[in-house]
Amino acid sequence: MQAELEVWTTALFNRFLGGPLDSFLNAVGHPAADPAHPWQNWITVEILVVAIILVVFGALRMKLSVDKPGNFQLSFEAIYKFVLGQASESIDHHVERYVSFFGSIFIFILFLNLIGIVPGLESPTMSPAVPLAFAVAVFIYYHWMGLRKHGVGKYLLHFAGPYWWLAPVMIPIELISHFARPLSLTVRLYANMFAGERVTVTFLTLTYFLLPAVFMGLHVFVALLQAFIFMLLAMVYVGGAVAHEH
Amino acid sequence: MKRKLMYSAGMLMLLGSPIFAQEPAGRGIEGRDFRLALAYIAMGIASGLCGLGQGKAVASAAEGMARNPGAAAAIRNALILGLVLIESLALYTLVITFIAR
Repeated sequence: MQAELEVWTTALFNRFLGGPLDSFLNAVGHPAADPAHPWQNWITVEILVVAIILVVFGALRMKLSVDKPGNFQLSFEAIYKFVLGQASESIDHHVERYVSFFGSIFIFILFLNLIGIVPGLESPTMSPAVPLAFAVAVFIYYHWMGLRKHGVGKYLLHFAGPYWWLAPVMIPIELISHFARPLSLTVRLYANMFAGERVTVTFLTLTYFLLPAVFMGLHVFVALLQAFIFMLLAMVYVGGAVAHEH
Repeated sequence: MKRKLMYSAGMLMLLGSPIFAQEPAGRGIEGRDFRLALAYIAMGIASGLCGLGQGKAVASAAEGMARNPGAAAAIRNALILGLVLIESLALYTLVITFIAR
């Protein structure tokens, strides 16, 4: 794929922090492809989004009040209730333990997807590294929750299926389906975001200036939907891992 | 009617027989164009079949909501989940198109 433009955050990071990242990457054993520009677009915009989220949630935390909740607090309470309600549909009990993870995934992916709409920035989810990181995190999380709840032996026994004589058939099928999950999560998020931007840019070369705004509107809708679906699938996987047998 | 349709489809496909007059394509620019063309055709097939699947999903969802308006919220959730999962199948093919480039 062709080289991407450098976003202004990347240019800033490369100018001031290029040296330290170069030495870190060389020390770890993965030298940067272009030592003059070791920082890439996705990591710098991701750091920017983390800073934005910290500021927003920090402001929320300081203004929390039981007696007089303002609109800001009410809207975040609505988001929390939404995540909690959605999780209750997939997970039988003790939902509150998992809500922090699902809420973080939802908010983070939502902000990462939407920051691409702002002119001058590009979504970190447009490069395949970022959705892969989320998918690996979800994979580790749901297996960890299942292991924590059932214990190592019983959890691994679930892969064998309901009857012992089905185990030689079930175990490969279960293994393949479990490893297909991070793959599908990654490709779904990456391809949606990448294709959305690529379609808008392609139509911009084909027609007048503001007409592809329709595709951008579709891209916003798809960004919201993909963040929701990522969270929903994470809930379904965790629900499957901690499900009570009879 | 169906037999006429099958025959005309078969004749249309035979119309493309000059393509077999190409010399065999290997590595290099000709090989790449061949792989790219196949990737585009694969994308068309994937989009078409996914369109069929999503159409069936939307039809069932609309009928379910019409029969039981009280369950509309649950049906809508199932519809969105199903549409996104089917959509992702077409997107896997799109990613392969980018890899073949």
